[in-house]
Amino acid sequence: MTALTCRFIKLADGLLRGAPVTVCRAGAALQSRAPVIQCIRTHRTNTWWDEHLTEDNASFLKKVVTEEYKQQTTDKLNPLKDEPWPRHEWVEGSRRVGLVAVKLGMMPVWTKSGERHVVTMLQVQDCHVVKHLSKEEYEGHTAALIVGGKNVSPFHRPEGYLEVFRNAGVPPKQKLTTFCVSDNAIIKPGTPLYAAHFRPGQYVDVTAKTIGKGFQGVMKRWGFKGQPASHGQTKTHRRPGSLGPGGDPAKVFKGKKMPGRMGNIYDTTHGLKVWRVNTKYNILYVNGSVPGHRNCLVKVRDSILPTRLENNKNPPFPTFFADGDEEIPEDLYDQDMFQFGEPMAE
Amino acid sequence: MFLVHTPLSNMAACTSRVREMMGLLRILRHFPQNERLLSTSILRHAAASDGPPKFTPPTKPVIIDKTQKEASLRRFLSPEFIPPRQRTNPVKFSVERKDMIQRRKVLNIPEFYVGSILAVAMTDPHVNGNLNRFVGICIQRSGKGLGATFILRNVVDGQGVEICYELYNPRMRKIEVLKLEKRLDDNLMYLRDALPEYSSFNFDMQPVHYEITGDVPVSPLKVKMKPKPWSKRWERPKFNIKGIRFDLCLTLEMMEHAQKWAEPWRPYDMLKEYDTFSLEEQIFKEVQGKSQNVNSP
Repeated sequence: MTALTCRFIKLADGLLRGAPVTVCRAGAALQSRAPVIQCIRTHRTNTWWDEHLTEDNASFLKKVVTEEYKQQTTDKLNPLKDEPWPRHEWVEGSRRVGLVAVKLGMMPVWTKSGERHVVTMLQVQDCHVVKHLSKEEYEGHTAALIVGGKNVSPFHRPEGYLEVFRNAGVPPKQKLTTFCVSDNAIIKPGTPLYAAHFRPGQYVDVTAKTIGKGFQGVMKRWGFKGQPASHGQTKTHRRPGSLGPGGDPAKVFKGKKMPGRMGNIYDTTHGLKVWRVNTKYNILYVNGSVPGHRNCLVKVRDSILPTRLENNKNPPFPTFFADGDEEIPEDLYDQDMFQFGEPMAE
Repeated sequence: MFLVHTPLSNMAACTSRVREMMGLLRILRHFPQNERLLSTSILRHAAASDGPPKFTPPTKPVIIDKTQKEASLRRFLSPEFIPPRQRTNPVKFSVERKDMIQRRKVLNIPEFYVGSILAVAMTDPHVNGNLNRFVGICIQRSGKGLGATFILRNVVDGQGVEICYELYNPRMRKIEVLKLEKRLDDNLMYLRDALPEYSSFNFDMQPVHYEITGDVPVSPLKVKMKPKPWSKRWERPKFNIKGIRFDLCLTLEMMEHAQKWAEPWRPYDMLKEYDTFSLEEQIFKEVQGKSQNVNSP
């Protein structure tokens, strides 16, 4: 038996705030003088993917989906089935794609001279190029490439979202990001991207959604000093204090720092050095800390800081292809980094 | 040699059974001498012949494996290998463990506990390129993974000195255990408020060797404290300290007053349970396997 619900329609004659909302059970339209809400009877159409499936069917679907993903990924690696686009050489001023990675955690790293730094480990899990937008489609200045991160099940995603991936022949991803890319660095949709795209010694920018802190006061959110704990302060220890100058503007300026929701916004950390790249597990060891909680998806791209452009010269362009042309070792280390298998030299 | 308890005089009483036993004995005697000791309980039953045999519980088979040295039979997994209870991807821990094992192949990090006396040598750029040696008692081991640390305490020229060392620091040259023992507590921070004689150790102390079979000896030493105030209220039950002589420094009323902060539900809190048995086994096998790969030619 389908459930009946009521859908409320707001009429165009303004909504009186605080006006009592009447819920009609039979679904009959209610017209009264002040209130402007009308009820229509509807059928609830939302359902979940295995509501009407048997257990066998559901498990079969899950199995089929995982096999399909594997097949799709291997297909994309085969250069015969999937003709790649022409590759160009790196030129000064060209911009290349970035990656979507998962933040694993942090660990210490030592240089050869004995200094200790901390690094964040970012693992590149199933990163594929999903779509190519030419200059005209995107905004008129640069072309763009949409890259997707971690694989995710197709059952809880809307159809429109899955369509993009079906066109590219790639399993659906959890996060999609756009990278502005110069024309000589475009890649065919469907190519996988690996951690070896970045090399040790390069500098990257990492963007991610910061940890949400909820509604926070002014001291935590904006770093205000607050008031002293004692010496006669009456009920004022963490308040913002004055809101601005007095009678002349006679208003509070827009953008005044006040309490509110903190966190859960995209933030970028610039100029992080890549210390080490593990090609077996596709892990990037990036200096310092990165916004976001553990296991969150981050966007990694070449740094735009002008002082770090020298370190980013001659990268694998347009990306690192695992076709087997060049054999790279399992671990790539930066020159200054102390590798644990080394005998104690210093 | 097998333990045999069949008095031949009882042969007449239970002939058939004993004949089987003798047959069995002959077969068993023909077995080559191997290193395993077995005591068969079947032969014991044949001895009691009057009425229904009293049930004697069989002795547990004692297997002494003499092929390996006794010291290597002890399984010790350093606590920094056990990952904390977090929602982290296990790939992160396994990659970190690989690095730790690599480092352990180059530098020997011995087994030690809180309460053992260690001598540590680190390279120091400010010491004319020589090694900086420090001897002390380990009062705390903290940190997991590559950032694992331990704190050594000693009293030098009347001044108490504590140094926190990182186990996997590349400047670490040598970690030597001068005396391996455990104490009644996991954390000996209270030595800061104890009399200095309990924290002072000679820098030229010689290592104490003894063959350790089974568990590491636990020293039952109870420490005498300086007069209060202390840096922390060590009598409170949250620290759960057993290695202080409270009877010499606190009255009964003070001890009872401290029990006000007791949290008797703690041992029953299921959300705080962290069962590491299976994890430890798995990690131990991994560590042993990888370190043996290098040792074997």
